[in-house]
Amino acid sequence: MGFFDSLAQWLGVKKKEVNVMVVGLDNSGKTTIINHFKSPDAKSHDIVPTVGFSVERFKSKALAFTAFDMSGQGRYRNLWEQYYKECDGIIFVIDSSDKLRMVVAKDELNLLLENPELKNRTIPILFFANKMDARDAVSSVKCSHLLELQAISNKPWFICASNALTGDGLHEGVEWLTDQLKVVLQKKKK
Amino acid sequence: MASSSEKWLDAYYDPVASLYTFTQCLTLSDIQADGDWKLIVADLGTGSYDMKLKVYKNTTLMSEHTIIDLPTGVVTFYMDTLTPRTPAIAVASGPYIYVYKNLRPYFKFTLPPLEIHPVEEDLWNQVKDEQVNVHSMREMLETLRQEGAALTVRSLRLLQMDIGNVQNFVNLHKHTPLKKQTVITCLATMKKSVADEDAISCLVLGTENKSIYILDPEAFTVLATMNLPNVPVFLSVNGLFDVDYRIVVSCRNGCVYTLKRGSTDVTRNMIELNSHPVGMERVNKNIYVGCMDETLHCFTSKGKKLWTVRLPAGITTIEAIDYKPKSFTAVLVALNNQEVHIYKEKYLVDIIKMDDIVTGMRFGRFGREDGTLVMSTKRGGLYVKILKRTAKFEEKDMSAGPPASQNVKLNVPKKTKLFVDQTQRERENGVAMHRTFQRDLAQLRLKVMREYVKVLDNSLNPISSDPMEPLKLSAHVQGIGPTFKFTVKLQNTSLSQATTDLLITFDFDDKLYNFHKRLIQVPMLVPGLTYDFDTFVDCLNDKGITDNVKVYVLKQGKSVPVLTGVVSMPVSESIVVV
Repeated sequence: MGFFDSLAQWLGVKKKEVNVMVVGLDNSGKTTIINHFKSPDAKSHDIVPTVGFSVERFKSKALAFTAFDMSGQGRYRNLWEQYYKECDGIIFVIDSSDKLRMVVAKDELNLLLENPELKNRTIPILFFANKMDARDAVSSVKCSHLLELQAISNKPWFICASNALTGDGLHEGVEWLTDQLKVVLQKKKK
Repeated sequence: MASSSEKWLDAYYDPVASLYTFTQCLTLSDIQADGDWKLIVADLGTGSYDMKLKVYKNTTLMSEHTIIDLPTGVVTFYMDTLTPRTPAIAVASGPYIYVYKNLRPYFKFTLPPLEIHPVEEDLWNQVKDEQVNVHSMREMLETLRQEGAALTVRSLRLLQMDIGNVQNFVNLHKHTPLKKQTVITCLATMKKSVADEDAISCLVLGTENKSIYILDPEAFTVLATMNLPNVPVFLSVNGLFDVDYRIVVSCRNGCVYTLKRGSTDVTRNMIELNSHPVGMERVNKNIYVGCMDETLHCFTSKGKKLWTVRLPAGITTIEAIDYKPKSFTAVLVALNNQEVHIYKEKYLVDIIKMDDIVTGMRFGRFGREDGTLVMSTKRGGLYVKILKRTAKFEEKDMSAGPPASQNVKLNVPKKTKLFVDQTQRERENGVAMHRTFQRDLAQLRLKVMREYVKVLDNSLNPISSDPMEPLKLSAHVQGIGPTFKFTVKLQNTSLSQATTDLLITFDFDDKLYNFHKRLIQVPMLVPGLTYDFDTFVDCLNDKGITDNVKVYVLKQGKSVPVLTGVVSMPVSESIVVV
């Protein structure tokens, strides 16, 4: 890193960059969540099912995020593992109104946790129990119980209820992720 | 065998859903055109009342409609080209088809009435005008029935009644016109002119009067009628009505018929089953039929039997899996022993263990998930399982027969020229080689026998064969030389007789060895005890030469030794001069 870069960073002009992966089943609201963080002029109005994946950038108060918005459709889910190596954090989006597919989300989460790239890394995982506004949505506590999140022992995780349409709960989650990633970056420096 | 939990996820189960239904009355469809597929169940209620059409969205019951009669089949079909593309639900029940659109009753189709037997019609007309007594009418109806004539439901009901109630029954019904209607036994759909996923479909129904009707979806008119030799129970349709189609029908007499567009000969490609069918599915071009005699058969569309699998229990229902994302096709067979077997071709690839007998199954898209298996059970439970993304069904996984390792090829080295020549020689001279071997073997045996006889004759063995002197001899040499200790052990092996007058002597090369005692006098030997006799032996040679030493046990007055033992002497250490 050049002198000017470190100076700029110290002054807070240039932010540190981190890669995060956004995963979850299809129709859980991954793209909508990312869309919420984009600047108002870059926001898209209709959100269509993602094909493959798309790369989006947004900033939080201390970090610049590069988000890999992965498609959640069954046939694209095997793409996820290709990007595990490069990511510093994971955002796992759950459709809390889809009780039937909670087991599928759990299965995909277990596959993710068991992946050799991630198994021994202490990588922070942020869970969004999305669609809290839906009538038959389950609470975030119930969500974490259904996905057996308490069994994750070697990774910091956090679940927060969200509504990607209004933005409720999204900032709370990303603030937690920012704090966690800062710790990771500091450790890396040492 | 991998357990089925590695392939199926338990998405939902409600053991007290109180559903009484069968495979024909379960269907999955996107009835609101929102990409969230619903489960549509025609519930038979208690079996006599409380019949309902239930729609499940995700895991919650979304709507319920009362059905008047027992449902015999439920299908969804597109009846128009309007957008959004919402399919209609058709419920077959008695002689009617109830059509629901947007979950609201939309249309009721009634099967065309059948011709009434003229005598029966006359009788009812006469009773209306009071020209005939109800009792004589009843008798005449009974004779008609015994002659084998098909009567109307009203006449059959009358025949079932007690004599006392007949008059009231006749008075109640005689003014309404007599109608004869049949009952729908099975229901299916067939695309009309385009094969698209959301193309307009015709309804295909099988009825109790041994006919198949094809209905137009827009006008609800009968487009085609086909007659069968027996009552159809299961239908499998493919093709397009306007182009070409094929309807495979299994009937209550245990035969499977194939109906084609424009063909009237139903007995062509007919399949005769050994038992009654309990389920029929068509996968690719093959017809799978489950029978009451615990067998699953597979036939080609031409009616040729491919294979039969015997199952461990009775079949309750069968259902096809056509999972397009992995192009996996198989047949699910639900059994009486609370298991569901999955057959890929004729190979059993998975067993799902349930805690109740499955009576209804449907595999397809439910909610937003493609590979979902919905099952209803005998006790009224509803189970939803989802096929895992990583599930793999391996053929021959659990089928009986040789283990898979038997098919693994061994790393056999290449045949050398020597091997080939040898094989050639063995093949050509096999008989001669065998004879040579047999002759050599016989000679070896002869030689062994001769030696044995010689040994016995000369008492050269350490155990006495003489019944008068049953003795056992063993000799040991101890020490490292040049002086050894030579021990002879003698045992009298007889049970009661003592032995006397024995001597021990040694035969050795006196240039090599010097025995301190050359003759040992043996005292009387008491039966059973072992006696030790020892002597020292000096080795006279320090060149490391050894020789055998023979031990003789002699009887006074006999020239042939009683026993002989041969001891091979160890190599002696040389004398160390200090």
